[in-house]
Amino acid sequence: MMPRTLVALLCAALAVAAAGGASAQPQALVLQAAVEPPGLDLTATPASATAGVVLYNVQECLVKVDRTGKLVPWLAERWHTADNRNYTFFLKRGVRFHNGRELKAADVKYVFDRAMNPETKHPYPRDYDAIGDIIVRDEATITFALKSVNANFLHNLARQGSVIYPREAVETMKSHPIGTGPFRFEEWVRGDRIVLVRNRDYHVKGLPKLDRVTYRFMPDPNAVLAALKAGDVDASLFGLGPEHVQDVQKDPRFTVIVGDTTNDVILAMNNSRKPYTDVRVRRAVTHGINKADVLKGAMFGLGKILGSNVDPLNPYYVDMSKAVPFDPARARKLLAEAGYPNGFDTVLKVAPQYYYTVRSGEVIAENLKKVGVNVKLEQIEWGQWLSRVFRESDFDLTIIGHAEAWDVKNYANPKYYFRYDSAKFQELFAKSEVTLDDKARGALFAQMQKLMAEDAPVVWLYMHPRLAVAKKGLTGFWKDLPVPSADLSEVGWTAAR
Amino acid sequence: VRRYVARRVAALVATLLFVSALVFVVVRVLPGDPAALIMGTEGSREAAERLREAMGLNRPLAVQYVEWLAGALRGDLGRSIQYDVPVGQLILTRLPVTLPLALLAAAFMVVVAVPLGVYAATRHRRAGDYVAMIVSQLGISIPQFWSGLLLILLFSVTLGWVRSGGFDGWSAGAWPALRALLLPAVALGFFQAAVLVRATRSAVLDVLREDYVRTARAKGLHGRRVVLVHAFRNALIPIVTVAGLQLGQLVAGAIVLESVFALPGLGRLALGAIGARDLPVVQGVALFVASCIVVINFAVDVAYGFLDPRIRHEAS
Repeated sequence: MMPRTLVALLCAALAVAAAGGASAQPQALVLQAAVEPPGLDLTATPASATAGVVLYNVQECLVKVDRTGKLVPWLAERWHTADNRNYTFFLKRGVRFHNGRELKAADVKYVFDRAMNPETKHPYPRDYDAIGDIIVRDEATITFALKSVNANFLHNLARQGSVIYPREAVETMKSHPIGTGPFRFEEWVRGDRIVLVRNRDYHVKGLPKLDRVTYRFMPDPNAVLAALKAGDVDASLFGLGPEHVQDVQKDPRFTVIVGDTTNDVILAMNNSRKPYTDVRVRRAVTHGINKADVLKGAMFGLGKILGSNVDPLNPYYVDMSKAVPFDPARARKLLAEAGYPNGFDTVLKVAPQYYYTVRSGEVIAENLKKVGVNVKLEQIEWGQWLSRVFRESDFDLTIIGHAEAWDVKNYANPKYYFRYDSAKFQELFAKSEVTLDDKARGALFAQMQKLMAEDAPVVWLYMHPRLAVAKKGLTGFWKDLPVPSADLSEVGWTAAR
Repeated sequence: VRRYVARRVAALVATLLFVSALVFVVVRVLPGDPAALIMGTEGSREAAERLREAMGLNRPLAVQYVEWLAGALRGDLGRSIQYDVPVGQLILTRLPVTLPLALLAAAFMVVVAVPLGVYAATRHRRAGDYVAMIVSQLGISIPQFWSGLLLILLFSVTLGWVRSGGFDGWSAGAWPALRALLLPAVALGFFQAAVLVRATRSAVLDVLREDYVRTARAKGLHGRRVVLVHAFRNALIPIVTVAGLQLGQLVAGAIVLESVFALPGLGRLALGAIGARDLPVVQGVALFVASCIVVINFAVDVAYGFLDPRIRHEAS
């Protein structure tokens, strides 16, 4: 009996093994993900690992940021406003949640009422501060009445915290998200994989192209490369290190995607701590850093040099990268004027969890030594970084990437960890929040970028590039990432495969 | 013998209590706040504060410890902050990866190291001895993550015999599961084997210099019989001691290798939990691993009694 059972087991195992190499089936995709999401509820965590799985794949918003960064109607097929205070949304008809129930205006009201309720611990309650009242007109019509004009209102509705879900799923979303997206959640084997399958009732005809998507969690970048080459994963959307790009580009089996992101890597100075209270010192530090060198050292030259906190994907982007150029002589002169003719000692705290911060820091320390600033590089663990640097502002210098789009708002918050406090900037920003005319708003953004470059509260180093790799034959990936989403709705294998 | 065992059990309980307190205090003294980590750089400060409240992290340390310990005694290790499932359940789902991995590695270690060590001892200062020692030196010097990557390069990328990583679970069949664990077990066992070879060699060498071995040889017994029957059993005490310690280290080594091979085991669970300050999980896993090590040591102690009657008699 025993041997026969064993044989049967082995046969079954072999059969599964033969069928299980998911990459062998044309319409299945195995993706590598470096970080496992801490939970799958976008209304409970701001983690980009969660957004990478759920946003636009499982759950969607009333409006969507498309692959070019443009705001497009989505679950709301159109909207209307006469006074920029009352927005009426007309929901697309016949959209169903993955549990089969139809999306109604009452669901939308429930989602935003819940987001605004402090009890629910939503990570971005501020995004909904402008909303005064939400009125359900009929099953497919809903009006948001704003307390005041708000230029970010529509954009905030496309963010990861604004996904629409059915009320009955609230309790279980952390481990089983339900939405209206092109894929429905199938399973999460903790520590190993998350599987999504095609939503056959998807409200966009012809999409998605894939039947099945498996996210495999593989933290080690070298192991990722090996898995790609061995054919165990089909694509890596966030896990390709810049040091591997050349190697993979040479391999005819793969396509490498190098795109733009909203992730601005900055050298933050503590504006409330000497000597960085002095704008001359901050400008001197900026003049002392050769950003091209930093980009080469940290990113192998991939990415774009920045001069302000508005990234190239932003419609109001102005190239400020040459506003405060690399000029060691000028840096030394400014330091002397500020009372530091012999420079000073300072500590740069970085978290090696983000390897680019350490690599950038090494180049910067070398650069600044030449203008008399002795930088001591201190590596601390991410948890410590968050509590000591980010929460308590206990630092001189630090490096980090700010991934959020439209995050210039942080420079208008004097309590933000780098403590930039400029009344002029705050005024400009407040004005931009209530200015809806595109041209006027653009002009305000241009002024803000100029002021940022002059005040030099931080050194904007470079835009972190989007580096992804996929097997040849896979198409439809986004090139740039205007939102932290890995939208897979249009991804598929070409017939040639 | 009963007294001997009773004393060991008392020591075991005391050790576990001490470990639990140590783990509890250490993970809480570490800078870094779970709520801040969950919220990251983009969540608001108020949201993090509310989360802290909700997780009960604002209460006194002693109260939190007593509650946790009382729970642990009932088998309830609390709930994971990250995953929102009971810690005990989380550990149980990871065990089917780590336990077979550690056992496979241990088997590899013993099967390779003990014969090689005995062989090296019998070939003392001859070519066979030197080759064994060079191999062992290599095993000790090569970091595990590196040997893991080399194995992946050879067997998955170049030869394509096994998958480069990942684990589909035992439900997919015993053979695919074992196949997924084979490379990491070899990488993991290699280092431990390298240490054990040396311990075995020197233990056997020591015994071979004893008078009774010379007597046995003088009696005209066959060389192999002298080594295997007369010398080996008496050399076993130091070998078992080292092997026992190594077994504990296998779990620690698994932390690194599980990342390289993308295995959803206990090590990666712990690593992720430390990074995310998922305190209940860190405490739970640390307590579990400590318990395993203490139990292994207990088993080693008991094994001494069987291997060497003197220890048994002294104790009673």
